[in-house]
Formats: sequence, C-alpha cells, structure tokens
Amino acid sequence: MARLTLDDLKKIKEKQKATFTLREGGYRAKITVHMGTCGIAAGAREIMTALMDEISEAGVEDVITTTSGCAGLCAREPMVTVEILNKPPVKYGDLTDKKIKEIFREHVLGGNPVEKYALVIGSETTY
Amino acid sequence: MEKYRANLLMCAGTGCVASGTPKVRDALKAELEKRGLAEEIKIVLTGCNGFCAEGPVMLVYPEEIFYQNLTVEEIPKLVEEHFLKGRPYEKLMFKDIEKKHAIPLMNDIPFFKHQVLRVLRNKGLIDPESIEEYIARDGYMAAAKALNEMTPADIIKIIKDAGLRGRGGAGFPTGLKWEFASKSEADQKYMLCNGDEGDPGAFMDRSVMEADPHSVIEGMIIGAKAIGASKGVIYVRAEYPLAVERLQKAIEICTESGILGDNILGSDFSFDLEIYLGAGAFVCGEETALMRSIEGQRGMPRPRPPFPAHKGLWDKPSVLNNVETLAQIAPTILNGAEWYRTLGTEKSAGTKVFALTGDIRNVGLVEVPMGIPLRTIIYDIGGGINKKKKKFKSVQMGGPSGGCIPESLLDIPVTYEDIIKTGAIMGSGGMVVMDEDTCMVSTAKFFLEFTADESCGKCTPCRVGTRVMLDMLTDITEGRGREGDIETLEDLSRDIIATSLCGLGQTAPNPVLSTIRYFRHEYEAHIKEHWCHAGICSNLCSFHINEELCKGCGACLRGCPQQAVVGEKKKPHRIIQELCIQCRTCYDACKFGSIEIRPAVRKKTTEPAAKDEGVKQ
Amino acid sequence: MADEIKILVVDDEPIVIRSCETVLKSEGYNIEGCLGGKEAILKMEQTAYDLVFTDLKMPEVDGITLIRWIKQKRPDTGIVIITGYPSQDTIKDALEIGIIDYVPKPFTPAVLLDVTKRAVEWIRERAPVEEKAKEEEFPPSMLNEIDRVISQYKNRPGSSIPVLQRCQQIVGYLPPQVQKRIAKGLNLTPAQIHSIVSFYSFFTMKPRGDHNIRICLGTACYVKRVEESLNKIKEYLKIDVGDVTEDKKFSLETVRCLGACGLAPVMVIDEETFGAVTPKKVTEIIGQYT
Repeated sequence: MARLTLDDLKKIKEKQKATFTLREGGYRAKITVHMGTCGIAAGAREIMTALMDEISEAGVEDVITTTSGCAGLCAREPMVTVEILNKPPVKYGDLTDKKIKEIFREHVLGGNPVEKYALVIGSETTY
Repeated sequence: MEKYRANLLMCAGTGCVASGTPKVRDALKAELEKRGLAEEIKIVLTGCNGFCAEGPVMLVYPEEIFYQNLTVEEIPKLVEEHFLKGRPYEKLMFKDIEKKHAIPLMNDIPFFKHQVLRVLRNKGLIDPESIEEYIARDGYMAAAKALNEMTPADIIKIIKDAGLRGRGGAGFPTGLKWEFASKSEADQKYMLCNGDEGDPGAFMDRSVMEADPHSVIEGMIIGAKAIGASKGVIYVRAEYPLAVERLQKAIEICTESGILGDNILGSDFSFDLEIYLGAGAFVCGEETALMRSIEGQRGMPRPRPPFPAHKGLWDKPSVLNNVETLAQIAPTILNGAEWYRTLGTEKSAGTKVFALTGDIRNVGLVEVPMGIPLRTIIYDIGGGINKKKKKFKSVQMGGPSGGCIPESLLDIPVTYEDIIKTGAIMGSGGMVVMDEDTCMVSTAKFFLEFTADESCGKCTPCRVGTRVMLDMLTDITEGRGREGDIETLEDLSRDIIATSLCGLGQTAPNPVLSTIRYFRHEYEAHIKEHWCHAGICSNLCSFHINEELCKGCGACLRGCPQQAVVGEKKKPHRIIQELCIQCRTCYDACKFGSIEIRPAVRKKTTEPAAKDEGVKQ
Repeated sequence: MADEIKILVVDDEPIVIRSCETVLKSEGYNIEGCLGGKEAILKMEQTAYDLVFTDLKMPEVDGITLIRWIKQKRPDTGIVIITGYPSQDTIKDALEIGIIDYVPKPFTPAVLLDVTKRAVEWIRERAPVEEKAKEEEFPPSMLNEIDRVISQYKNRPGSSIPVLQRCQQIVGYLPPQVQKRIAKGLNLTPAQIHSIVSFYSFFTMKPRGDHNIRICLGTACYVKRVEESLNKIKEYLKIDVGDVTEDKKFSLETVRCLGACGLAPVMVIDEETFGAVTPKKVTEIIGQYT
C-alpha cells in the first residue's frame, strides 16, 4: 500500500461508504425483495440479481436491498417494496428483469414511483 | 465493484472462536456458495462482540438481526430461511428472560440496549484486519488532525478538559500524565501501552485489541505527538495470542501505509511502534515494573519519584497508558472535550467498559456511562443472577486489588469516588457477580492466594505478610480459626497497606478488609460455629435432607460418589454423615431445594481443630 | 531440606569445628570437620561437599591454596571463609578467587547460621544451572535454532525475555543447559537469565507433555467452581499441577485468567480453548486426546 495522506484517508472512507451504509444505517432507499417460497418459484432470485447489478452499475452508495418473506399476494409475485426515506413505500408486482430496471432508475434514482407497475402505495413501512 | 446486499458479521473473538466460530464460518460459507448467494452476501470476521456467553454470535446487516449459539447443524436452515426466503430465523435469536419470545434486533436486547459505545465503538462492526474499514469509521482522522493541525499543548488541553482518567485502575488523569512527560526534556521519550491485562475476571483490553487494534495504535500516535515520543511499545500478555496477532498485522499495515514510521500522514512527525510480549507476572501491571520488564529484567517496581514521566523506560521520560484509555483518545480529539463530558459525572467523565462475569445471566463486556447505578448494570444489562432460585450476594470489583460490594450498596453510582468508598476499586473493570452459594471467606482467600503468589518479593510486608494472612485464612476455612483472628487480619492488612512500595502490596489486603467489613458474620460463623453457610468449606459444613421437601427422586442418590445417600424411591432420602465428604454433589443435583447446609458434624475419628489448638502458639 | 546439605569445616582449632558442629547440626545440616588444608583435599577427593568453611591461616596447606584447589577441582562447591584476621587484603584475595562470604572470628551462632543460610541459598540458585547441564542432550538443529535467535537479538537492549520466549518455543521448556547457552550468547551471567526464568510464570524449566492442559484460575472461573474440574483432572491423569503424566502425554498447568471469562470455567489444551467445563466434560475432552 502506498503511503497515505489525509486526502487518501477521505477517499478510502468514501469508498467504504456503501458497506457502512449497510452496517450503520443512514441509507436513503431500501428495496425489499419478497422471497417466500412462491416468490422464489416466480423468479424473485433473478429480480434480486438484476437489482444488485443495477445498484452496482449506478454506483450508488445509499441504497440497500434486503429480503423478506411472502408478501401475501402470491399471485402477483415476484414482488418488491421500494421505500424512499420519508416517502410512503410502494409495492410492485408481476416483475420482470426489465421492469425492475425501470423501477430502479425511475423510482429509486429518480424519485418518481412507476405507477403502471405499482400495486399499492403507502402501505406499512418497515423502517 | 463488488456490492453486497448483506454483511454477516461473525464474532471471532477468543470466546466465540472457542465456542466454534471457525467451523460455523466454514459451514456458512459453503452453504452460501451452494445456494448461489456467495456473491451477494459477505461474511466478515470481527473482534469480540462482548456477548461471549452465547457464542458464537453473528450480526446480520442491514437488518441488524442478532443470532447466537450458532451451530454447524443449524446453518443450512438459517441460510434457507433468512437469506433465501427473507424470514429471520427465530430459533437462533436471543430469547428474553422468561424464554417466551425471541428478540431479533440487537439493539432491543437488554444487554446491548443500555450500552453506549465509545471504547467499543467498532466492536463487531468492522473487520479488525482491514485498515480500510477502520478508516471508514473515521479512523486515523484524529491522528491526521493532531499531527497536522495541533500542537502538543492543544492535544493535552483537550484530553485534560475532557477529564479522561486512566482506565487501568487508579484513575490518574491522562492529560496530566501527558503534560508531565511533555515538559520533560530528553533526547528520547517513549509512549507505552499496557496490554498486560492481569486482573483475573477482566477482559476488555483483550477485546479491544482483538476487535479494534487500530484504535489503540491511533491513540498511541496522538499520545506520542503530545509528549514528543518517537518510539512506542505495546506490552501484551503472551496468553492473548489472537490480540498479539491482530496488533502485529495492524502495525505492519500501518508501517506500509505511512501511518507509522517517518512523516506520518504527510506530517513532520515520526513514530515507531513495536510489540513486546509479557511473560506472565501480575506485578507488571505496575508501571515501573512493566518498564523493568521491557528492559529484560525481573519485573519489580521501584520507588517513585522519580516518576516515569521523568525517568521511565531506559531512564527516559515515558508515558504508560492502558488499552481502554488509548482507545478513547481518537474520538475525543475529533469531537472535543465537551462531547466527551456529555456522558459520565463531573469527576468521572465518559464511559467505562466492564467485564460482567460470574453467576450472572448475561456474561460479557458492557460499556456504560459512568455514574449509572451498579444495580442497572447487574440487573438490567446483566439480567440478574443466572439461577432462578438463587439470591445475589455480592459483586467483586477491581480484581485482587478490589473488594466485594454487598446487595445493600447496589444503588451507588459507578464512579471512581463512589466505588472506592465501598472498599472496592474501579480497577480495570472486572465485575464478578456472586450468588448466595459463595463463601466470602473462601473468596478472600482466593484473592490472597493470587497476590501472595504474584508478590514480586521485593517488600517484606507484602511478600511475607500476604503469606501469613493466607495461612490464617486457610486455617479459618479449614476449621482451625481462633478468636481474635479477624482482628489480627485487620491489623496485618493495615501494616501491609502502609508499608508496601507498589500498588500490588498496597491493595492486596482489600479483598480481606472488604469481606470482613460486609460479611464479618461469615468469618465469625466459620471461627466460632465451624459453619460455612454456603457449604463451600468442606470441613465446616454438613449436608442434610429436609424430609418434608424431599420428593425421593433419587437425583442426589445417583450423583453421590460415596454412596452416602440412602432411601427408597419416592420416599424421603437421608445422608449418612459418616460417609459424606461434603462434595456438594447432592446439593447441586437437588431440584427441590431439600438439601440443607448445617454446621459441621464432628466425626469421632478426626478432631483437627481441637488438637491443633495445643500445637499452635 | 537442610540435611541434604553437606558442609566441610576446615580449621586448625578443634574448638571452631566443634562450635560449628553444635550450631549447624541443630539446624539439620550435615557437618564434617578436619584440621588442615591437606586433610581437606584428601576428603574432598573422595566426597563432594556443597559448602566448605575454611580458615585462612593454617599450617602446611593454607586457606588460599585450598580455595584455589577447590575452584579448580570442585568448582560446584561453595566456599565461605572463617578468619580471625579479616584484613582487607586477605579478604580481597579470597573474593577475587571466588568465595561466597566470610565469617569473622569470634562469631555468634546467629552470624554463623545467617551466613550458612545465605550460602546455601546461593548454591541452590546456582545448582540447577550448573548441575543438570551435563544430563540433557539436544539435537544440533535445535541448538542451531537457539543460536540463530540469540544472534538475531544479540545487540538489542532488553532482549532476554523475547529470546527466552522464542527458545522455549523451540525446545518446549528452558532447561539449565539452554539457559546457560542463552546467557553466554547474550553476554549475561547464567544467574541473570535464571532470575528472569524463575520470575515469570510463562517460563518453565520442566518439559511439558505432548498435550499441555492449562486450567484457568481467574475469578470468573473460580466463582463457577473450576476447582472441581481441576481436581477431577488431577485424579484422572494421576498427576499434580506442574507435573507430566508418566507416558509424557499430558502436562497440567494452572494460569491466572485467560480473559475468556464469558466461557468460565475455561480449560485450554495446547491452543484450543474449551468453555463451560465440568468435571464430567473435562475427562471426556481429555479422553479425545489419548
């Protein structure tokens, strides 16, 4: 490793931010992929993978993904819930690779819920 | 760039490793790979989490779900439930006292809830072997600030204003210590760290060195700048191999990255740091003794003055700080003295880490603001006594230099001043809780055995005096105690305290004095009635079965190594006193509390006490 | 203890021998006397004494000659001189050749006892280093390794403890021969090295078994009654603390707190830690190592 200066310290800190957003909290958006047995059968794993790719590509540090159990609407799986801090959560259903990418760009990054895929807006938060 | 959706922070402290972290980690890794999750979920090994009794423990981020008592067998189920299906796995969660429901979130668990983390700020949160993760948590920012923007006087002022006192035992103001050394003129000065955690029952320093080695190094760099030292030594117990390894790695990476060595972080300040392995001598916790030990001699204390701030290691001005003290330096420099003083009391500012052990439900490390009542630590955080039917008897603080605090004083605030009034000391923060099955005379004897053994031998009062006291205590616990022994013990204690050179001798009688002070009746019962109420001193008790409570379950009968218990099934049993060796097996085995402890039954064949009376004197 | 110590008193005045006998025999020392240096040499050629008390002015073979002879032929024997003429010069001569102490004549029993006691202590301290050295043999590779460690630390001040730690790792323990080698290598006296070895509990002069069992005697372990497990182990292995089993498989030690109080009571075998042990569990665990 090269000799560090104060600037380097700051850079390292910045680089580690994503990891510590995960551990310390303080994230802006949280995307929950519902992974019950039904969700997985319907392709929730693929949704998760696509989502992770998107986040990675976009290089955002303040978005976390998590999983939860069945959302109770098995017919509409795979589903995700997107929660932007201080905004009502939005549930999306019948997702595909393409849809989740769109949701990620529009809603998570852009801040505008993608109403055409949304099932409910403003259900319970999980913060 | 690698991106993970979850971080699993597994504790790899000494306790959890012994409980099986490595095997569980391997199983977890294999399982994640099998399920195709290895790319998304990262396993990080951290230092000691502090909740050692329930290890191996793991914390899952971002949900902050806390799992305990992990086993290899449970891993597949855990991975499937939590990481695949997203359903946190209740079976491995912390259960509340009544074992009724699981508590998933770490910060909801009472053990963690009352804690405020400063010293342990990074415990279980970072990979101790990764300097990047330390930096991500503001690591080395304080060092950069101190080296580039502050004068030694600035640094000392903050530490003094903060009111930080040495956490090793005596509580000497750290800022003052630094100031003395800073003002000493010399061509060479030394910044030393005492990682020779000797108090039995205290393990916070081990935990910090294992979980957050960089915080100690950063504290030392700042201290070195304050006093003008260009060399430093961390003195660590050889019994702490994991701590040594982590520190060694941390020093190596710091040296490579210019955080140790010449021109640290681009400043004009240079500091070299090395590790020195202690060789097992309790007295080396004393600063002058520790310095002699680094010089390669017998670790014997020498009189002060001259104080180490003027003549320390190799006769050069030196400062020795404890691990816990040093770990608090960086955040204090970054956040200022005012911030530091937001917790604690006027004279005992900040937080203190305690090692909570003994007969208590939640064993582990706890960091709390000073000034909170002792009762809160023991009951709210510690969860009280670990056995349902047993009562609290005493909490021992300060190790062999400390004392035993009784139930009646549990409401005192935990500060340096209040603890000392009880006859105990803050010490390094060991808190050993004892229930009613503890014999206080034996406990005092235990500590005296320790000090008599560890006395370096330099001062006669300590070397011989502790031995004489130990002999008297042995006599008392074996039934040879005599009238007047208590007074003699008190006299001897005063002499040893008054005439010993170092802290070891000056505090060695404390356990005896404090147990006499609060539990004099136990000493008297031992001496006059030949009765150890707790049933620990086997010469001074006898075990009897209360026929009204006995259900005749036979648990005692099966356990007795002497076949001294007789009785028919479902009918009250009886103990044949002639055969009983007072091993307590029946007492521990009985679920109905039907075994009673009474004074010793004098057996015809042995009359040691009476006989010895004549021989002695 | 005292009766293991053999003392030879050499003086041309029988009364001195007799008074030495009276005083020292009552303390249990083994005393013989003779009236001159010549006789003393004859006796010493036959028997090894731990201590020799000798007068300086004697006919024929005088004290200084005797002391020189002893130094050459019986270097392990400690020497104390008894003299009626404690002039600075004679004492200086004797000190230069190497005596432990001197007793001025006439002497009181207390003085004699005191000097004897100190002399015995002195030879005891030296004894293990000097005596056992001949008994043990170590493979050259081990000795080379030791020398390598020594040369690595040689010029660093205060290096004796790290060197001893490394050497104990290599050999497994620190027998007198190893201590002597280290002393020589570091330019210290064997006594200096031995004083460190005997002070720190980390160092051991006894070989350990194939598996070293350490029982924590810290407070937390004490409160959780580790004593019971310790007694069980002693009974099970039929050894005491500090000993090695007959088959050299296990050695048993106690330590003062391993800092794993959360797991109390704690037992460590080699490097592996076992928590929450009970008398039943310890025998099971140890059983797995046999």
